[in-house]
Amino acid sequence: MGKVNLTLLLAAVAIVIIIAIALIFPLERLGQLYSLLLIFGGLVALLLRSIFAKEVDRRIIFLFIFVAVAAPLLFPITFSEKPTAVVKAVFDRVESLPPGSTVLLSFDFDPAMAPEVQPMANAISRHCLKKGHKVIFMSLWATGQALLTQSLTNTILPEFPEKQDGIDYVNIGYKAGNEGVLNVIVSNFEKMFPTDVNSVPLGEIEIFDDIRSCRDLDFIVSFGGGLPGSKEWVLFVGDPGGVDVAAGVAAVVAPQLYPYYPAQLVGILGGVKGAAEYEFSLKETYPDLKDMDTPGLKMMGPQTLAHIVIISFIVIGNIIYFRGRRKEKGQ
Amino acid sequence: MKLKLLVLCLLLSCFSVASAQEGTSPPEDTLLFDSTLLPAPVTNLVAFDTENDHGHAITLEWEISVDDGAGKQSVAMYEVFRWVPDLMTAIPSFRDTLDYLKLRTSSSWSEPEPGSRTDSIHSVFAKLDMAQLEQKKETLERTIGQAIRDLPAAHAAYPENGSWQQVAVAPSGSVTAEDVGTKEKDSPDYLPDYSDFYYRVNAVTADPDIRTPSEIFGPVQSYGQWFNLGRLAVFVFVMIFGFLTIFFVSHARRGADLYVRPLAGIEAVDDAIGRATEMGRPILYVMGLGTADQIATIASFTILGRVAKRVAEYQTKLMVPAYESVVMAVAQEVVKTAYYDAGRPDDYKEDIVFFVTSLQFAYVAAVNGLMLRELPATNVYMGKFFAESLLLAETGAVAGSIQIAGTDEIAQIPFFIVACDYTLIGEELYAASAYLGREPILLGSLKAQDWAKAAVIILVLAGLILANLGVGNDWAWANNIVDFFRVVD
Amino acid sequence: MRKVTIIVMAAVIVLFLASWILKAGAFQGEHDHYIIRGFLVTFAAFLTLAVMSFLYQDNPYYKFAEHLFVGVSAAFWMCMGFWTTIVQNLVPRLSTSLADFFEVPQRAEGLNFFFYTPVILGILLLLRLSRKIGWISRWPLAFIVGTTAGLNFIRYLRSDFIKQISSTFVPLLGRDWEGIGAFFSNLDLSATGQLVMMVSNWVIFLGVFCGLIYFYFSREHKGVFGAGSRVGIWILMITFGASFGYTVMGRISLLVGRITFLFRDWLELI
Repeated sequence: MGKVNLTLLLAAVAIVIIIAIALIFPLERLGQLYSLLLIFGGLVALLLRSIFAKEVDRRIIFLFIFVAVAAPLLFPITFSEKPTAVVKAVFDRVESLPPGSTVLLSFDFDPAMAPEVQPMANAISRHCLKKGHKVIFMSLWATGQALLTQSLTNTILPEFPEKQDGIDYVNIGYKAGNEGVLNVIVSNFEKMFPTDVNSVPLGEIEIFDDIRSCRDLDFIVSFGGGLPGSKEWVLFVGDPGGVDVAAGVAAVVAPQLYPYYPAQLVGILGGVKGAAEYEFSLKETYPDLKDMDTPGLKMMGPQTLAHIVIISFIVIGNIIYFRGRRKEKGQ
Repeated sequence: MKLKLLVLCLLLSCFSVASAQEGTSPPEDTLLFDSTLLPAPVTNLVAFDTENDHGHAITLEWEISVDDGAGKQSVAMYEVFRWVPDLMTAIPSFRDTLDYLKLRTSSSWSEPEPGSRTDSIHSVFAKLDMAQLEQKKETLERTIGQAIRDLPAAHAAYPENGSWQQVAVAPSGSVTAEDVGTKEKDSPDYLPDYSDFYYRVNAVTADPDIRTPSEIFGPVQSYGQWFNLGRLAVFVFVMIFGFLTIFFVSHARRGADLYVRPLAGIEAVDDAIGRATEMGRPILYVMGLGTADQIATIASFTILGRVAKRVAEYQTKLMVPAYESVVMAVAQEVVKTAYYDAGRPDDYKEDIVFFVTSLQFAYVAAVNGLMLRELPATNVYMGKFFAESLLLAETGAVAGSIQIAGTDEIAQIPFFIVACDYTLIGEELYAASAYLGREPILLGSLKAQDWAKAAVIILVLAGLILANLGVGNDWAWANNIVDFFRVVD
Repeated sequence: MRKVTIIVMAAVIVLFLASWILKAGAFQGEHDHYIIRGFLVTFAAFLTLAVMSFLYQDNPYYKFAEHLFVGVSAAFWMCMGFWTTIVQNLVPRLSTSLADFFEVPQRAEGLNFFFYTPVILGILLLLRLSRKIGWISRWPLAFIVGTTAGLNFIRYLRSDFIKQISSTFVPLLGRDWEGIGAFFSNLDLSATGQLVMMVSNWVIFLGVFCGLIYFYFSREHKGVFGAGSRVGIWILMITFGASFGYTVMGRISLLVGRITFLFRDWLELI
């Protein structure tokens, strides 16, 4: 225990010194160099220790992950992303719909999932408005409405000052009832959403002139990862209503949605990686969006480093495990 | 009848303050153009009730104009017109008046914006007092109700008192269109069932004023169907599953010996109990966070019964920390019965099953503490687990216990697999419970599921072969079978 | 109390106050309620750090944050339930005066006696609180379970069963032979090349087939059947591994979110 505390203390002191130096000399390259050195130097040290059959305290792992995540945030490292087929399918669908199509975006997530899901929700909202689609925003989660409003007022609408509420987009907000809501709006919006969030009756909103139910929509994207979420959209709207649905979900549930692709889901954006790929495609297709905020792409730096750290720990852990087993056998 | 309708129309028009329906003028065919510009009309127009729906919709089919894609190539689109009685056209504007009256008589009334539609209605009723408004409201409500009831009769009066209105458009080249209304009586799109509708389709050129109407088709009525045959596959499978379940449950009740293969995880439980006895250390049984009505928890009770019986036989110590009071009560019963069955009722103590707390992470903290203090030889986790799965299993692994887990929460299975020695994956938990408990309902439904799985294997194989051969060889029957699985609405 | 505890607590309080003052100063001029805003950001940062401190070891700050979270979310959901379900969905359909009282728009088509049924069932559900007549709450519960099961059964059977069966009808031998060059072209995993497409179709078919065999309990897993079941468990394990990997990515995203908050909104480093 004493040794562990000493290692911890040394590591903490090292971080503080390195951050302090980086702050005094705000040279990005220097910071990147320092952090990479720290991470990989530490990993090599641990690997050596493990070869000599010394166990690693779990708190050391946490510390490594923290540095691997924090360093690229302070000194951004970005990568280029090649969109995979599941993400490209969603992008191409939004791109190929004729301008003026009606797209519904449902923000079915809470603050706990927001860092993962909000980047992709913002990217797709931006894409739809850029392309000239009419967008209906809604939420099946009580906590989603606040995040939806936040996305609209802080990020999306300031970029499109010419878009008008009720004509180019509408926010119909949250309605309690989980999949019950979906079961109704697949045949009638007005029954569940008599008004939008500003208490304007649906009948007076231009977008809803031709839209009576989900069946009249051209495309639906559900952002979420909990219940109700993308799966419920497929079960209660996509399949019975014959509407194309795509999912943007938290990474944890992405594997459970793959069986629905491509027959029941147009495409899947899984976690931050999906968001980063979408943002990359968007930037590539629309050069004027070059300066847009890309939280997804920015998150890939910390992700990559953290994953390298975790993979290294899996290797180190296995070395310890197999050494231990060999020793047991030897005895 | 006609007289009654006329009177109704007059009565309604008293209330009609608003302007008439906007848009769609009737397609009167006053030809002011060179008749050679006119496209040929569509032919063989038929209209029929849309199948597999709840009514209120009509499907139209026709043969395209000879000038569509050939001939003069002048057809740009088709417009579908329906004959609509004046009574139906009038209802929405009366409803506006009614909405105004409702608002006016409610407490949330405020003066309308000058020049708005509400304002134009308001100018007519402004001078009336509340009692008069209420009376007008009631009369209007009754009148609208009567008007809706009279719609079929008004349709039957074709071609008197009505006009043609556009109800759908279809791009050039299309041979079908749907006129979909709604069943909501207070919606402007309401389409009454069992009313005589008359349709015509115009072939329209790029200049929207140049169009040729088709022959009129009618009368045709819409009505709802009892069954949606597009969902036949769903019905067939519901029936098959229902039958299989009932059959096997009753079979098991009658004492039939239904074979369930032994599961590695369950055999491991027996070994682990033996090991605990040898080491003189206790066994920890965790039932997760589920409530007593969840299947995973019910399965867990059965397995607990078996574990408790073995524990009683070997005279080892058992600990069952509970998360919920009902679960605790049931678990106590289960353990008590097991001790009686093992012939050691004296060894049973009330505190084998004990309540901890109903707070997720507080429960984890308590159980983890128990693991580190008591160092159980074996930890068994069976039931519903959520975010606590890895926290529990990791601590157990650190404490050096043998761990056996089982849950139907798919998201938690990977965590148990990495941290436990044996894991019952999903359905295996139910199977283990059926295997140990021989409870007819569990056993019967497990058997029914097995049969369903066998059916799926066969269907997948057959479907694959048909899909691979049928598509290449254009076998219509093969495609029909494949299409059976593509449920349509 | 131990001396260390007191020193740590004093340090936390001093840091908290310093951060509050500095943040409030930074917000001055930008926001009207800069003192409250400064407090909120500082408090959020404190809670984040308090929860993260659990990684070192359990401590009172973590417990405080946890209990606060449990209490606040319980209250939040109760208020949400009341205002969105009862007030917005039910009240406008029950009575005009109630709707006016809660200032929610009335539903013209509403005011239906039918909507008193959920009110009655809801009250019956609340009888659970009583020991004597608590059993009555089983009736509305049975209603909920029954309707949900019925509704979901059809949906699941259709989307998760029948549609999934039809999704496995994939071309195993490839289609539209365009020569050996085209067959081996486009070998990345985006499944657009013919070979890759064919391989992924085989994986889908074998995965479904062997997975089903593994979960078939009426026969012992021996011989060919056993081999199939072993392939099945391998495929299951690969799936779990993939899901584990995705989980790691998800959790790290959340950590990035929190650290971004600390660095950007609190410390203003980035």
